[in-house]
Amino acid sequence: MPNLFTLVLQIAVVLAVCRMVGSLFRLIHQPRVVGEMFAGILLGPSFLGWLAPGLSAHLFPPTSLGFVNALSQVGVMIFMFLVGLGINPKELKHHGHAAVLTSHVSITAPFVLAAFLSLYLYPKLSDESVAFTSFALFMGAAMSITAFPVLARILTEKDLLGSRLGTIAIACAAVDDVTGWCILAYIVLLIRSAHSANPLWLTIGGLIGFALFMIYGVRRALRRFQTIYERQGALSENVLAFMLLLVLSSALLTEWLGLHLLFGAFLMGAIMPKEQKFVRYIVDRFETITITLLLPLFFAFTGLRTNIGLVNGPEMWMYAGLIILVATAGKLGGSMVASWLAGMPLREAAGLGTLMNTRGLMELVILNIGLDIKVISPALFSMMVLMALFTTFMTTPVLELICPDRILRAKVATFSGHPPVPSMTFESSDGTAA
Amino acid sequence: MPMLRNNRNFIIAYALLVGLPILGLFGVLKSGRGLAAPISLDGTWTVQADTNYLATLPCGKSLAASDLGMTISQSGGSFTLSLGNGTKSTTPGTLVGTSLKAFVVPLLSDGAACRGRELSLLATVDPKSNPRSLSGTISVNDCDTCKPVAFRALRQPSATKGGL
Repeated sequence: MPNLFTLVLQIAVVLAVCRMVGSLFRLIHQPRVVGEMFAGILLGPSFLGWLAPGLSAHLFPPTSLGFVNALSQVGVMIFMFLVGLGINPKELKHHGHAAVLTSHVSITAPFVLAAFLSLYLYPKLSDESVAFTSFALFMGAAMSITAFPVLARILTEKDLLGSRLGTIAIACAAVDDVTGWCILAYIVLLIRSAHSANPLWLTIGGLIGFALFMIYGVRRALRRFQTIYERQGALSENVLAFMLLLVLSSALLTEWLGLHLLFGAFLMGAIMPKEQKFVRYIVDRFETITITLLLPLFFAFTGLRTNIGLVNGPEMWMYAGLIILVATAGKLGGSMVASWLAGMPLREAAGLGTLMNTRGLMELVILNIGLDIKVISPALFSMMVLMALFTTFMTTPVLELICPDRILRAKVATFSGHPPVPSMTFESSDGTAA
Repeated sequence: MPMLRNNRNFIIAYALLVGLPILGLFGVLKSGRGLAAPISLDGTWTVQADTNYLATLPCGKSLAASDLGMTISQSGGSFTLSLGNGTKSTTPGTLVGTSLKAFVVPLLSDGAACRGRELSLLATVDPKSNPRSLSGTISVNDCDTCKPVAFRALRQPSATKGGL
């Protein structure tokens, strides 16, 4: 049984610190999520544990963290459902060859560079219990992800959702995330199957069968939600509870099949109807508690697992620097070069690359999975968290520097492309975005 | 975006920017298989040692009083080691080949005689053993009269991987 006093105290402290730091970051024109990620680090051994070890041990005793983790995972599960809900695969079709090329290069460039970097880092930061293939593929997936919600939030703030840059960035991020999660699914499967009694082919077969059943069977039935919404203008509590039940069932099934809860939640969101008003309505119902209460717990839990003290000495800091450099060169550079070759003006292409380099919360979700399945070590985890923070933090100022608003706004007026789904901004009235 | 309006240009660009890197990825994965990473130490270990003698050492009282288990959290050639019940003494260490070395800062409860001293933990891992085992000594630094205490540790079977 959890010590209720400790748990409630932890939630209160996490909430207060996350809101405070998030608000401070808003003052410097950063999305609140960056501040909340930073707040998580402040609560962990890297700052509070180092500054006041007694207070840290009293506030976050190791035996109590399981409950914080459980709560935060429920939040991440709902968040992944909302991410899946906001992704519309049809978006890419409106942008033709340029978007296809840019999105695919923005995955392959960081992925391949990460694999090359793995040749150097594997003997230094991993151990023999992790196969090189798993290590390199995980590093690739972690470096090629884009934080779809943060990106959408930045574009909304800059009023760029309808611009060429905005629509291509959203479409590319959607493709990147789906691809990244598929690759991650393969890695998790590979590692878990080594410890499972079931043969790999059985697990893969089961998952393919499940995915086909969801896409071609359940998806049709889900249209009923939209029909009810269109008829009544709202969904009753019973209907919303049933929707949540479907998310949980899908999550449990993927976990039972040997993958991970989060994939099922994501898949359920991805196959939901994509009509804009319906999506916005569902996001509004689920996001408030998720973003204000549960996700800060996830940031805190991540921060408690992040120990920057493990990045000790010039050699380790050099590895961290290399990771940031490779992640940025692959994602920013790859997207920029591809979109420029596709005919986008250089400044705009650089802006697109900068946007694609945003990793945010999605990166933290992936890194936590990597640490759980032990494909990355605690020191590498800490370095990758630093990379996620750095690349997310740099997006807004770098975008402003290389692609000022006045240039981009001029393009908004002239662009007649297909506008993206606005619901994916996950924004609350105070500018929260995950 | 005029450059890629024509299908031929698109195919060439796609092959160069996506196809070639993917081929490179396969090459990297193949060449990486030959790489050797440090031996695995990560996990919870049970320790067998002469706790009666350990308790007589200037800095060994708190260690002898605990269950003498240890938890190792590994990152390549470096690790953090938590001795005892895992809540008191956590110390960084290094692993070179099969030899590991860590310096344990003793607890204040070990008394004034212990202040400013530290315990050295030196051990060798047997890479072929299953479950993995290591053997070595715990000794008090700067104490000529203190004999090192020999110990042997066995790694516990790992908990189910992957659960969040």
